[in-house]
Amino acid sequence: MTQVLANFIQVLRAASIRVSTAESIDAATALRVVGWDHRDQLRETLSQVLAKTPEDKRAFHDCFDRFFIFETPLAGVPAADPQTPEAGEGSAQGPAAEAGAGGSGVGGGGLAELLDNPDPSALQQAMASAARAVQLQNIRLFTQRGIYIRRLLEEMGIEDFDRALLAAARQTPGAPDIARRREQKDRLLEDVTALVDRQMLLYTANARTALREEVLQKTPLTRIEMSDFKTMQLLVRKLAKRLVALHSRRRRVAKRGQLDLRRTLRRNTGFDGLLFNTVWKQTKVDRPKIIAVCDVSGSVAQVSRFLLLFLYSMSEVLPKVRSFAFSTQLGEVTEWFQQKTAEEALALTMKTWGMGSTDYGGSLAELERLTEADLDHRTTVIVLGDARANYGDPGDRVLRRIHEKVRRVLWLNPEPRSFWNMGDSAMQKLAAGCDRVEPCRTLLQLERIINEIARGAG
Amino acid sequence: MTTANASDARNAILAIQQGFENSGYIASEAIATAVFLAQALSKPILVEGPPGVGKTELAAATSALLGKPLIRLQCYEGLDEAKALYEWKYGKQLLYTQVLKEKLGDLMQGAEGLKQSLARLHEFDDTFFSEEFLEPRPLLKALWAKDGAVLLIDEIDKADEEFEAFLLELLQDFQISIPELGTIKAVTTPVVFLTSNNTRELGDALKRRCLHLYIPFPDNRLEQRIIASRVPTMGAELREQLVGFVQSLRGMDIKKAPAVSETIDWARTLLLMHATELEPALVRATLNVLLKFQSDIELVDLEVPSMVRRAGGS
Repeated sequence: MTQVLANFIQVLRAASIRVSTAESIDAATALRVVGWDHRDQLRETLSQVLAKTPEDKRAFHDCFDRFFIFETPLAGVPAADPQTPEAGEGSAQGPAAEAGAGGSGVGGGGLAELLDNPDPSALQQAMASAARAVQLQNIRLFTQRGIYIRRLLEEMGIEDFDRALLAAARQTPGAPDIARRREQKDRLLEDVTALVDRQMLLYTANARTALREEVLQKTPLTRIEMSDFKTMQLLVRKLAKRLVALHSRRRRVAKRGQLDLRRTLRRNTGFDGLLFNTVWKQTKVDRPKIIAVCDVSGSVAQVSRFLLLFLYSMSEVLPKVRSFAFSTQLGEVTEWFQQKTAEEALALTMKTWGMGSTDYGGSLAELERLTEADLDHRTTVIVLGDARANYGDPGDRVLRRIHEKVRRVLWLNPEPRSFWNMGDSAMQKLAAGCDRVEPCRTLLQLERIINEIARGAG
Repeated sequence: MTTANASDARNAILAIQQGFENSGYIASEAIATAVFLAQALSKPILVEGPPGVGKTELAAATSALLGKPLIRLQCYEGLDEAKALYEWKYGKQLLYTQVLKEKLGDLMQGAEGLKQSLARLHEFDDTFFSEEFLEPRPLLKALWAKDGAVLLIDEIDKADEEFEAFLLELLQDFQISIPELGTIKAVTTPVVFLTSNNTRELGDALKRRCLHLYIPFPDNRLEQRIIASRVPTMGAELREQLVGFVQSLRGMDIKKAPAVSETIDWARTLLLMHATELEPALVRATLNVLLKFQSDIELVDLEVPSMVRRAGGS
């Protein structure tokens, strides 16, 4: 039974539910109390001990249903016991084999008898214990499928079965029994194949997605295929959630030298009002106000959409985000992102502001006009763009004016560093009005930058 | 091997479920299993779920079922040891020193020099830091309860992370360390419930030490049973329509879905208005019992007639 539990926990981990060793021990203890007899009860017990968030619970129920399809826990049958006669090993010489050979025209060891058994659960049990004997839980690759199917069949005694079948076919070809045996064998093969496939899916459920996500994080955002957008959005949400968890706690910094008299008195009542312990006044570290300005023309649009998706997925820790989109003209898109789904908001943004060539000078001037009231020492301005001003006014003077008013200006450029300042790129001029200029080509870089912003570090 | 044992467990769980039902708390099997496991494994239960599904109620029902007192600790930002665990009765300590001043003088008589006086004082050293002068707060009360208790730590997510860490010792070993007195161990292990509304993610260390029970909104059948138990005077037909309506509300895209407590309130409201079946006009007039945002009410208002029809009303 412990082996079954261990396998199940392995499956849960493959489905990226985090199960600690302590929790595995708890599960074993709980099962000793509750037992395996009642399916619902088993599921509830394990889910309460092993899955500890609502998302994990959902994944858990899914895993439970798939895992316990074939390992049906039946009362009184010690399924984990390798000595079970159904397991097939060595049973060809046993009395069961002889009885089988005598009973039907074609013998074939314990397996034949098992296939004749009208109770399908006996066969299921035998398959389960054979699967355990060949350690099917270690299957990882598609190419291992054939090997495991073969090993499983051997473990169940297919060789004796085949030999008996062959001998019978030589002696009395065309006997109806032989056809029946052949059919039985085909059906067994189907069952075993299905079992192996199921197990492979079970134990490798997340391995592929994990690899894919890792690659996607490092792929330049401009080169991501349309078909990967869904995965990317999920990935952005996942990363954002991690950052939220990291920053959800508001930091406090003690102001040295300012005594908090009320708290000090309260803490020292125990000393008859003598001030032994002093409490200093604290300030909360402010969450930054963010103004995000995104170029939504052409290839930059791809990166913009992920930046905006990121910022809005973090609304719990970044409550004050205003976003603007521009190409020829600039407009505010904050409301769309707050009210609509990410897809709708992005589509609407692209449709409304995404046409035409980029006018940096005009757009930055418009930005200054629209956000005048919000530009103060707590504001962080993030500009995302390739700084290609089509040889027009890059707006560097306006940007410097904004820079003087706000806490900091970050410029994210989706082009690789070597392309900056080539052709019509005005990066150098604009950099004078920024605190930092960062390349922002992959999701990984994007995450790092947003992490720094959320931390409130200058 | 565990068959006898397991059927015992099964019976115990069903008994708990029945016990809850008798006291008017309709519990799903998951809830009964959790309460059983908590006692069998001596582990606290962390209860999560949307607001208003009966998380706090569960602790009260358990206390009634086990016949043990309910000790409740409401968490909030800034909650500290002095309010959760214990505090010295400073006033009493001061008063006693004043009253006993002369007595002390008597005791000190004949003592030569500071050293001897101190030595005498040491003979009574812990008088002022004994349990006499300890003001127990909820956590300590739960540990001291001779016949056990049900301890409810409500809305743990509202407390600071430091407090969460402080709880770990209590949750794991049911003991707590007080610097002046040493370690205090529970006389009888209390049944501990922690509830959370998920305003922030709880630490892994805390989750690892608890059983995790998620109470979702009840399904149609369970909710009908709850209404039948809480508002017994309501007719079966109206109850069916009412629950059907609320269930379809939860499927809509609204800010705050109505919880079980709101369904109960609504059922009582309808009874007060002598309703015999759902009618659009009546539903519209009482919608503010179910929905707590004006924008939600406006959104649902248009759909009321078709929803009422689907729920089986006229």
